[in-house]
Amino acid sequence: MADFIKHPIVDLPDRKPDPVVPADQLHFSDEEKKEIQTWISRYPTADGAVMRALWLAQEKFSFLPPEVIQLVADEVGIPYSNAYGVATFYTQYFKEKKGKYVLDVCTCFSCQLCGGFDMLHYLEEKLDVHKGETTQDGVFTVQEAECLGACGSAPMLQITNGTYVHNLTREKIDALVDALREDKMPAFTSVTLPQDEDEMGGNRRTDVSSTETYQAGPVSETIR
Amino acid sequence: MSKAGDWRNYKRVLLPPVKDLHRLDAYEANEGYAALREVVTTDKWTPTSVTDEVKKSGLKGRGGAGFPTGLKWSFMPPVDPEIPRYLCCNGDESEPGTFKDRQLLEYNPHLVFEGMLIASYAMSIKTAYLYIRGEFADWITHMEAELEKAYQKGYVGKNIMGSDFSCDIVIHKGAGAYICGEESSLMNSLEGKRAYPRIKPPFPAQKGVWGYPTTINNVETLACAPLIIRNGGEWYAGIGAPNHAGPVLYGISGHVNRPGVYEYPTGMLITDLVNEVAGGMRGGKKLKALVPGGSSTPVLRADMIDGVTMDADSLREAGSMMGTSGMLIMDEDTDMVSFLRRITHFYHHESCGQCTPCREGTGWLENIVTRIDEGEGNLRDLDLLIDLCSQMEGRTVCALADAAAWPVRYTIDRFRDEFEAKCKPSLVASGVDMATA
Ligand SMILES: Cc1cc2nc3c(=O)[nH]c(=O)nc-3n(C[C@H](O)[C@H](O)[C@H](O)COP(=O)(O)O)c2cc1C
Ligand code: SF4
Ligand code: FES
Repeated sequence: MADFIKHPIVDLPDRKPDPVVPADQLHFSDEEKKEIQTWISRYPTADGAVMRALWLAQEKFSFLPPEVIQLVADEVGIPYSNAYGVATFYTQYFKEKKGKYVLDVCTCFSCQLCGGFDMLHYLEEKLDVHKGETTQDGVFTVQEAECLGACGSAPMLQITNGTYVHNLTREKIDALVDALREDKMPAFTSVTLPQDEDEMGGNRRTDVSSTETYQAGPVSETIR
Repeated sequence: MSKAGDWRNYKRVLLPPVKDLHRLDAYEANEGYAALREVVTTDKWTPTSVTDEVKKSGLKGRGGAGFPTGLKWSFMPPVDPEIPRYLCCNGDESEPGTFKDRQLLEYNPHLVFEGMLIASYAMSIKTAYLYIRGEFADWITHMEAELEKAYQKGYVGKNIMGSDFSCDIVIHKGAGAYICGEESSLMNSLEGKRAYPRIKPPFPAQKGVWGYPTTINNVETLACAPLIIRNGGEWYAGIGAPNHAGPVLYGISGHVNRPGVYEYPTGMLITDLVNEVAGGMRGGKKLKALVPGGSSTPVLRADMIDGVTMDADSLREAGSMMGTSGMLIMDEDTDMVSFLRRITHFYHHESCGQCTPCREGTGWLENIVTRIDEGEGNLRDLDLLIDLCSQMEGRTVCALADAAAWPVRYTIDRFRDEFEAKCKPSLVASGVDMATA
């Protein structure tokens, strides 16, 4: 073998690191297998179901190490390389272990103008981490996110690919961190349309426990 | 002059004020699925006449490009029973500043389903995919429950309402990538591939998902279809601006007192939207600039918006675009250099990396704007940026490179003094040819 292949100048990524999920846990339950099969039946070729299968796997194993991607590939019936390609393309699939709660703070565009960076920095200081890092106790990972499609209720954050927290303030962050430390997930919050407030006196949904209105964002300290 | 007529007394149609409209029973009680019933069970409608009605309405796509919807539908090739055809409803909604589709999906999901079914009927499609960005996980869960109800009632699936028209709806959950909103990238994502945009031609109508004829429309676009069938194309064409008709969801964010999603006709005066609809500027500050339709549309200075209305013609004249009608309002204290810096970061992060001008160009844009923002830039960097933009625009597989270049080009063009003020004085004056400098 040529010398440069044995001794590459750049370190190549370890494609087969030691598995982190114990072999006896590395399988889907019958129910999960059935769900994946249902998704496969909804596309002309099995490939279409790979994104849902990866979602399912991530919910189960909390992230996607190579052995989990292999499991998904086998279950869907596609080559490992395809599943790996998909898993590494999208930001919401976690390729490495994250904290129990991932806080994605939007600092993009509207959120930037309404104090998104202030919220991110506050959270970084509060939890003593930099963005992208996980707290020592493994509870929180703080990340900077691109626009999450809730620009009117800026600044905002998302908890582990799920619930949105709108109209962020420092007090709200304090309360959120305390609640999550006790594993209390905030409820889904429906944001009321301003026209509904005027014409219907509030939120139109009667089936949600938590509602909020759009609020003018605070004055940003970083961009004025 | 406003083209929106008596907008203060406008009655909403996309999001009418009805309690719990997102639930099937409330939707049914308010003319829900009546348009679909009329289309599939009576002789009044054929696929061609539905498409013609949509053409007559003048509906233009709400996903950003503003392409006439009826015309797009008529690009589908003649039906061949051997060849499947697909509809994709684009609910990726990732353009910074855009948050209207999410509200429509939350508050009126059945209107979107009904629109997808009517569009499928018009193009003889049997499977329709609704692509929703993965971040909207909560809303996807809600919608799947509602879709299940619609299936049980026979509004979706086999032999809809006893007719010989069958159509399935599948909700596809994305996983976080702005580029999936681009139509050909969305198709690759649906096929379970890395979401790289495809070279066009072939266009989706010839060769779309899995190589079969496909039409892609935005969520809000398809939600208009049932309204057009219910009330007629002429009714729709009479709402708002003559060349860009219809109701539209304005997503207003930034430095205003009352941000949010508002439904009004097209052709609203920007000044009305800012000062009356959105409650004026926060803290009594002065308006400095605004972005009319998502981060890629060119920014407008406050002195450029007098008499400008929210429709394609007026905005083009003013030097911008309608885009997604997600408006960002900025007050007098906004630092345009930091603002642009974050936008360039966004596009650098979201470039899929297929094309060199985009992959490298977005990186350079971010590096140089960052350098200027940190006070390390030279005046000639501004010319370098404009030069870079020219080398990115129109030279790539998809329009992301253009979308990344426009904000840089126009923000610098329209706020040049601010950029110059942040630059170090340079030995080489601005405007000097780089090659000889
Ligand atoms: C980089 C890029 C991102 C896009 N993102 C979206 C999006 O998030 N949602 C959307 O509806 N259209 C988006 N589009 C536009 C789509 O490609 C397509 O034009 C649109 O969905 C067509 O629907 P319409 O005719 O109903 O507007 C994007 C385009 C580009 C180039
Ligand atoms: S222009 Fe950019 S985002 Fe679009 S295909 Fe090329 S590299 Fe990818
Ligand atoms: S800019 Fe933060 S959600 Fe859109």
